[in-house]
Amino acid sequence: MAFNLTRRKFLQTASLAAASVPLSKVVSANTGVSKSALDATGTAGDKTVVGGICEMCFWRCQLVGKVRDGRLMKLEGNPKSIDNGTAICARGNAGIKLLYDVDRLKYPMKNVGKRGEPKWKRISWKEALDECGSKLKSTVDKYGAHGICVFPHGASAKYPMHYFERTVGTHNVSEASFFQCRGIRDTAYVATIGKAPGEKIDMPNTKVLFFIGDHLGENVHVSHIKQYVQGLQNGAKLIVADPRFSAAAAKADIWVQIKPGTDTAYMLAIMNYLVQNKKYDADFIEDHTSGFEEFSEAIKGWTLEKAAKECDIPAKQIKEVAEMLAANAPNVAIHPGRHVSWHGNDFQRERALACLTGILGAYYVKGGWVPAKGPKVKGVSWAKHDHGNEFNLNYNQEEDEKIYTNNPPGTPTDLIRDCAISGKPYPIKSCVVWGQNPLQTIPNQQKMKDLFNAMDFVMCVDVMPTDVTAWADILLPEKSYLERHDYIKKGTQWDLSKEHQQYISARMPLVDPMFERKDQVYITNELAKRMGHSDAIPVNTIEEMVDKSLASANLSLEKLIAEDGIHIQPGKDPYGIPEDFEVLLFNDDLEDAGHPGAPTYIPVEEVPAGYARLLYGRSPVHTFNRSQNNVWLHNAMPDNPVWLNNEVAAKVGLVDGDTVGFVNSEGVESETTTTVKVTPGIRKDCVYMYHGYGSANPLMTIGVGAGVDDQALITKLAIDPETGCHGMRNNFVKLIKNGKVLDLSA
Amino acid sequence: MQYGMIIDLERCVGCHACTIACRAEWEVPVPYQRNWVKRLGPTMTDDGMAATYYPGLCNHCDAPPCVDECPADQVEKTFKDAKSGKTKTMTVSATWKDPFDGSVQVDKDRCLGCGACADACPYGARYVNPAMADDNSEGKVDKCTYCKPRVEQGLEPACVQTCIADARIFGDLDDPNSEVAKYVKKGAKGLEVSDGKIGPNSRYYGTKKDMGLLFTDYTPQLADMGSVKRRAMMASMVKPAMRKAKDIGMLGIAGALLVKGLSENENNK
Repeated sequence: MAFNLTRRKFLQTASLAAASVPLSKVVSANTGVSKSALDATGTAGDKTVVGGICEMCFWRCQLVGKVRDGRLMKLEGNPKSIDNGTAICARGNAGIKLLYDVDRLKYPMKNVGKRGEPKWKRISWKEALDECGSKLKSTVDKYGAHGICVFPHGASAKYPMHYFERTVGTHNVSEASFFQCRGIRDTAYVATIGKAPGEKIDMPNTKVLFFIGDHLGENVHVSHIKQYVQGLQNGAKLIVADPRFSAAAAKADIWVQIKPGTDTAYMLAIMNYLVQNKKYDADFIEDHTSGFEEFSEAIKGWTLEKAAKECDIPAKQIKEVAEMLAANAPNVAIHPGRHVSWHGNDFQRERALACLTGILGAYYVKGGWVPAKGPKVKGVSWAKHDHGNEFNLNYNQEEDEKIYTNNPPGTPTDLIRDCAISGKPYPIKSCVVWGQNPLQTIPNQQKMKDLFNAMDFVMCVDVMPTDVTAWADILLPEKSYLERHDYIKKGTQWDLSKEHQQYISARMPLVDPMFERKDQVYITNELAKRMGHSDAIPVNTIEEMVDKSLASANLSLEKLIAEDGIHIQPGKDPYGIPEDFEVLLFNDDLEDAGHPGAPTYIPVEEVPAGYARLLYGRSPVHTFNRSQNNVWLHNAMPDNPVWLNNEVAAKVGLVDGDTVGFVNSEGVESETTTTVKVTPGIRKDCVYMYHGYGSANPLMTIGVGAGVDDQALITKLAIDPETGCHGMRNNFVKLIKNGKVLDLSA
Repeated sequence: MQYGMIIDLERCVGCHACTIACRAEWEVPVPYQRNWVKRLGPTMTDDGMAATYYPGLCNHCDAPPCVDECPADQVEKTFKDAKSGKTKTMTVSATWKDPFDGSVQVDKDRCLGCGACADACPYGARYVNPAMADDNSEGKVDKCTYCKPRVEQGLEPACVQTCIADARIFGDLDDPNSEVAKYVKKGAKGLEVSDGKIGPNSRYYGTKKDMGLLFTDYTPQLADMGSVKRRAMMASMVKPAMRKAKDIGMLGIAGALLVKGLSENENNK
């Protein structure tokens, strides 16, 4: 380019100054290329610290830290890991932005304003612990242990949760991970196969993957994604039932654009087709199931045509799916799901998944549901005690039986909330929130606020000023997962067809804590001392807890460090069905308790005219609301656009990128707005958005008001009758543009 | 030798691990980026409903349009092949295409921060970081280096190392036995500009449907070189000189204000 040559000559004098920048240069030995001091140095030369276990989500990948001058520069997957390997996801990579988030809680704080409108005053740890200890003790003295309710979440909440449940003796503990997430799955499978299923499907070695709503790719857990991608690469067919063209649907061979809430009808039709056409695994049914006849009888009304009408999908597609499953059985992976608290009929859907796996004979076989044989490591915590059922809210004292017969561990959330708000059957007067943000995880925010307002005392322990922390009287700053010991991560290699190996690792700090952050063992023990439970303290430090636990596997922290943070030992072949394994296609106990003995479809409320059903799901860069203040993750997806069907959008005059708010069928309006994503990839009767946006706490300077908090719009409660868990997809919304409420009639 | 990267869209799940790992490794400040993931669709295509991702980064092109636009004065630079030890001397501005590994690199010391190269890039793969402005520049340009400093130490690029789906593969496109070359044989393609031939070396592999969607939505055009050249010329000619003049001027005004402020302060006491 002649122009350039002329121009360059012309410009030489102008840029002479640039040639004489007085900066030291680093010359690469390999190439002689000089590296500017202005270039970031990269982390290859930084000190590697082993022993990290991620907790940006609960999958908990194994990490190493890259540390420069005492500062954690980068997190990487531990190269020794046979789980996540060197890979970690966006959230894992962004962990250092949680660690050094300037909005993080730094000191114990006392609320000298009102609950919900706090004025924070920094206090000493001694004052904070004295206050928490005396308030909790006075509640126990006055009302009994059951006068305390606890909302815990995450690895750090385990030890305090055990303290309150086992030592103090309250039943009133509600974990969001159970009652607003996976508890239904676990108890439905327990009622069917005697075990919680995890996500233990042998995806790398399967022939067909069957997903109901699972949106892997948007829902990201590293080794689970590895299994999924390997399965697809190995040629597995993928069937995805979802009202939305999800990340998984985009990779699917068959996308079943099902009407929300009707999944059980869909599966009953598949199972009935298999039964009627004798395409089930007769040997497996004979040897490992019970109740086949009653089961067959119970589902026989579910013809392809009936389900097609109910689910709003073609009958021939249901048949195609059933045929594909039958043709590839038993090497088919029926995904049990993870977040399953959808509609208040979810126990039955989970039972249907477990039974479908059964009639296809897909337990303990290659490509089916296969629990890997992992190593044993004993947990160390507060000693268990039987506290009876006298103050168990999930117990009908007159009938001498449970109210929700198949509840996951803890007490169903609304039994606690109703009791706390009404004072009946007894007063609940203190609330401990540890790592959970109930305002953005539990439906009906007003009811949650009513609970807090009914308390004599509220304490929160967290790393970030999440929305719930604004309701605390005392707010305690916790060490993050990068600054403390605790969680024991154990398991096997992720591809069961590879050499059988087991691993054991324990979370260790990668850097020293800053400010006055403390760990859960310190905080809990100090509370215990002030509440008269010194004698029951099981360990004095968090290191001691982990070391004692590791000792049960002949390991120690020291040994683990010497082994680069992960101990690996020979594993066992997981394939082969245990002789006594049984699938209860019909469950007599359920029937005795007044529930259906065979999986049964319970229709959900129809969408009222003018509204759309509000669906929500995972963003690959966020873990619910926990990561919304992370500057890197926020930058990657700053808000949660609402998916709207293109035909509906055209009808109401919305275009891609329009800014909208929401109002739900109970008149609750969103506090904030988001943008519209117009797409043919969603049904007309629903809208969809990522969960976990729109924090209301101004102390979350990045996350506050960013996107819309879907949880705020989930006000109408649905309770799963077997488990007491919430269903959260029975709420209906209209969109608001420029103050005008838009009718979304399809 | 020509380094290249394959992005296998059959494997990619759109998780953004690559973009965040890059941020951490190279301290890339928000809102800038060396690489990105855009979600495409769901939309109706000739092949049915489709949705995929555009994980983008510098293409280290065969004929990089960015390099020619750099107005920094030229210097002689000797390059050395890390493997063979061979050397080659070339005349380069503040950005060049490496004669041995084919990567496109930047010398931040001599960068004027004018942004001409960023404007010239059809992919938007360069940014100017104004926080790095100094006496001689409006900031410094930054971009993907294919993690050259890591690769020279035998490590993988940060985005490749962290990819949870093994969807990113890095290597020498000129080596027919490399994984990347095998992907090219299978049909991996770069997002070539619609109105020229610059030879992008970050390449995509995927189903017909997904590739169709990606290439329909993100096939770029060459930048308007007229405006790029004007910007380059203006920036390099005028700005350093102007800045100097401005700085002197500012010092004058600021100095006067400072003195005035101090004296007023003195008077108020």
